[in-house]
Formats: sequence, structure tokens, C-alpha cells
Amino acid sequence: MKIAQSLFRGSLVAYTGLFFAFIYIPLVVIAVYSFNSNPVNMMTWTGFTTEWYAQVLGFKTTVSENALYIESTGQLLQAVWNSLVIATSTTLIATVFGTAIAIGLYRFDFLGQRFYRVIMFMPMLMPDIVLGIALLIFFVNSGIHLGLMTIIIGQCTFLISYVFIVVSARLAGMDRTLENASADLGADEWTTFRRVVLPQLLPGIVGGALLAFIISMDDLVITYFIAGVDVTTLPMFIFAMLRRGIKPEINAIAVMMLTFSFVVASLGLYLRSRQK
Amino acid sequence: MSIAIRRRVQLAVLLGPVSLFLAVFFLGPLAIMMVTSFLAPGLYGGVEWTFYPHNFGRILGFADPMFEDFDPVYIAIFIRSVKIAALTVLAALIVCYPAAFCIARLSERWKNFCLFLITLPFFTSLIVRLFVWVLILRQTGLVNEMLLSTGMIARPLDLIYTDGAIILGMVYVFIPFMFMPVYGSVEKLDWTLVRASLDLGAGPIRTFWRIILPLTAPGIVGGAIIVFIPALGNFVVPAILGGAKVMMLGNLIEQQFLAARNWPFGSALAMMVMSVMLLLLLVYVFVSSRRGADAALNR
Repeated sequence: MKIAQSLFRGSLVAYTGLFFAFIYIPLVVIAVYSFNSNPVNMMTWTGFTTEWYAQVLGFKTTVSENALYIESTGQLLQAVWNSLVIATSTTLIATVFGTAIAIGLYRFDFLGQRFYRVIMFMPMLMPDIVLGIALLIFFVNSGIHLGLMTIIIGQCTFLISYVFIVVSARLAGMDRTLENASADLGADEWTTFRRVVLPQLLPGIVGGALLAFIISMDDLVITYFIAGVDVTTLPMFIFAMLRRGIKPEINAIAVMMLTFSFVVASLGLYLRSRQK
Repeated sequence: MSIAIRRRVQLAVLLGPVSLFLAVFFLGPLAIMMVTSFLAPGLYGGVEWTFYPHNFGRILGFADPMFEDFDPVYIAIFIRSVKIAALTVLAALIVCYPAAFCIARLSERWKNFCLFLITLPFFTSLIVRLFVWVLILRQTGLVNEMLLSTGMIARPLDLIYTDGAIILGMVYVFIPFMFMPVYGSVEKLDWTLVRASLDLGAGPIRTFWRIILPLTAPGIVGGAIIVFIPALGNFVVPAILGGAKVMMLGNLIEQQFLAARNWPFGSALAMMVMSVMLLLLLVYVFVSSRRGADAALNR
């Protein structure tokens, strides 16, 4: 019995090891092979190079002209810039709106509150392709020109949900006695909100904003439908590259994106654990 | 100003603008899509404003007799998408469930670290995570190269552009969605009940079926639903890992909008995806107790 038990426990631990290997080995593989100099077969190692990174970043490279699959660095930078503009705007709007709703539903009791709460979950649960085409039909029918503006509006519809959920969770865990104490000690409602509620709520708001920013930077499906012809975002750019064919440059871009988001996410989660 | 009125004004300021925004840009588009799904497709890509139920008919079996015979290809794609999404749920569960038990019994520090490692990929680009699997699975990919160089196979296997590749890709990107709810109920599992069951003579297998599985069922159902919903209408994964061979609902909808320009039919397909989602949510709310539903919504 004892042996069977420890055997079971051992296999469970081994399984969990495999679980993490499944998640991370592919990412390690891509990181390693992004330095492979083989321009034709990316998975056959022929030597170390940083050429692909230089290529993506627009530096002069020694890659022979025949091996080049030049993707315009200018276009890539434009796509990154578009993504940043969109993510910054949507994060601002969604954070203000999502926080307002969370506070409203937390502090006030009113008819239909439960229903409102359910409605707030809908944009997040809605399959993205459904929301994407619904927005496309809507914008085209109402004669709004597809572009940055429509992408920002479209992404906000579901990002508000995410901010709402994160801020709500923070509100639910908050100590209400502090508010009462502040009111008892003579602070008016606004002062109490500014000096007591808001500081406690801030980690939730920052967390929600960070989540919104990351999801906005990564959104492909909804953006893909409502971007129109002039605007390309980073995920759309990579998606288009992938559809045209796999090239070593994509590898380099992918690894740079992985590194960037790992750093941002780790920082965010670290700060959150510190604040607790 | 009386307090009641003041509170009402505050509430209106907090909820008013957002409600308006969501009514116009979320509920509005969905309503228009619903209307469009009942309109006739125009000859050159637009819509004609007549009631036309045959968009759904093309899928469900009463196609417009003027133009075509009923072709079961669309219902076949629908069933196939449901099948692939269901297999994704099952595979994700098999991947996550045992690991959840192992992680739930770690010390606080290691537990948090493991949860961090599992959520981290969620923050990285979806398309990058799928691209990695293209490099691994394709004809000249990592797996084939390794198998070829060791001489285990003579010519590359068809790994990519299959149903299996799609399921693998979806499991990979949806792991956090399945893991978190499952882990939530595994961690709350009352181990004294398990011990009691074992002490009273039930074998390990019987204890699993009668005690552990029912107690962790809410997490399993929750995870299954939030994996199934995005899996059913997914179009990025089939587009990248399915090639042109595997058609799923998501690709079909995209095609109707961007290539065939039959918006009413595309809307009808999207309505099908949406109704499956709403149905699943209703079932979930109905099955889980009122308190359970509240907890799920308030989380």
C-alpha cells in the first residue's frame, strides 16, 4: 500500500513536470532556433547568427541577397506604432469605464443590478468572431469609416469587461469599516472616496489596466474584421506574414515579442504580489 | 439636495456613459447582426431588405428552393467544429486535471510560483504561441527533422494541417482557461472526506468516482465551458495549423464576410455560434446552484 502510494505520488509529480515542459519547451525551442543561420530550413542547425534580429530591426546585414526575404521594417514599425496607439487609447477608456461600472455596482443597490452584472460578463464571453463581424456590419451600415477609430471602439467593448472584473474583485475584498470610520470622523463622501477608497482600489485599477493593455496589444480576430484597409496592427502583420510563408525573420520578431511580454507580465505580477 | 437624489445622480454619472457606450457599440451591433441573418443576400454582396429564413435553411435543411438544393456540407462543418471543440475540452482537461492535484498540495510559495508559470503564457502573443507549433509540426519542422535524422521514419509525417494539430494548438493556448477553474475546485477539495471514504473501505478508484470527481465537478464544468466557447468559433488556430484542409465554423464565417461577401449567411452562422454559447451558459447557471452561480459571477 505504501509503495503503491509513493509510486502514485511520484507519477503525479512526473506528470506535472511534463505539463510544464509542454508549456515551455516550445518557447525555448523557438528562442534557440531564432539564432540559427540556416535561411532555408529553420529547424536544421547550421550555425549561430544574430542576422535575423538585425534584419528585423533594419540594420545592415550580411545575409546574401538570394537568402533575403525582405519584409519592410518600416511596415513592421508602423504596425507596432499602431498597436501601441490603439492599446494606449483603449486602456485609458476601458479603465475609466470599467472602474466606474465596478464602483457603481458595488456601492449602489438598484433594480436590475444582477442583470446588469450578467450583461457586463457578456462581451468577454462572446466568441470574438461573433463580436468582430457584428461590429463590422454595424460600422459599415452606419457609414463609419473603418480605421483606428473603429478598432479602438471595438476593442473597448470587451476590454471594459476585463477591467470591470479585476476591479470588482478588488472591491469585494476591501475593508468597508475604513470607509465608515472615515465618514464618522467627519470626512465628506468625496474626501472619503479620494483618500480612503481610491488608494485601496489602485492595485486593482492598475492590474485591470495592465490586463487591458496586454489583451489589446494581442487582439487579432476583432481587429482583423474592423481594421479596414489602411491600418495594420502587430498581430495582423504577423498573421499576414505567416499566411504568406514562414521566414526566419518571423522567428526573431516572435522572440522579441515573447521577451517583451514576459518582462511586462512578470513585472506586473511581481508588483501585485508586493502590494498584497 | 436630498441624499436620495444625490445618490441617484452619482449612480447615473457612474453607469450612464458606459451603459450608453455598451448599448450602442455592443448590443447594437449584435442586434443588427441578428436582423442581417434574416435578410436576403444581394446579388453583388449587399443585402436585400426582405425577410429570408433560408440563411439558416442552408445550414439546417430548408435551403431556398429557387437557387439551390440543400447541401449538408454546412451542417457537417458545424458538427465537425463541435467535435473538435469537444475534443479540445477533453484533451485540455486530461492535461490540466492531474497537474492541478499536484500543484494544490505544494507549499504556498511553490504554489504561487507554479500558478505564475501557468498564467505567464496567457500574457504573450497568441499568434506567436501558435507559430511555434508550426515550426515544430510542419514537414521540415522539429519533430520530423529529429525523427528523420534518427532514421525512425523514411519520409516526413503529416503532422500539421490535421484535426490533431488544431486540437493541439487550441489546448496549448487554452491551458490557463482550463487550469484555473479546475485548480480552484481542486484546492478547495475537503481531503477529510477522501480519507473517510478510504477508511470506510472504498477503493481508490471508487473514492475518485464517488468523492473526488463530484466535488471537483464545478471547476471541470466551468473550465469546459470557457474552453468550449472560444474553441467552437475559433478561426485563428485553423487558419494557421489547419491550412486549407480543415474547415471550421470560424473559417467559414470569415470566408462569408471577406471572400464570398454573403453577409446574411455569415451572420446566420455567427448566430449559431452565439446560440450555442448562450445555451451553454444557461445550462451552467441552471445546473449550478443559485449560490454557486452567484459565486461564479461575483468572482
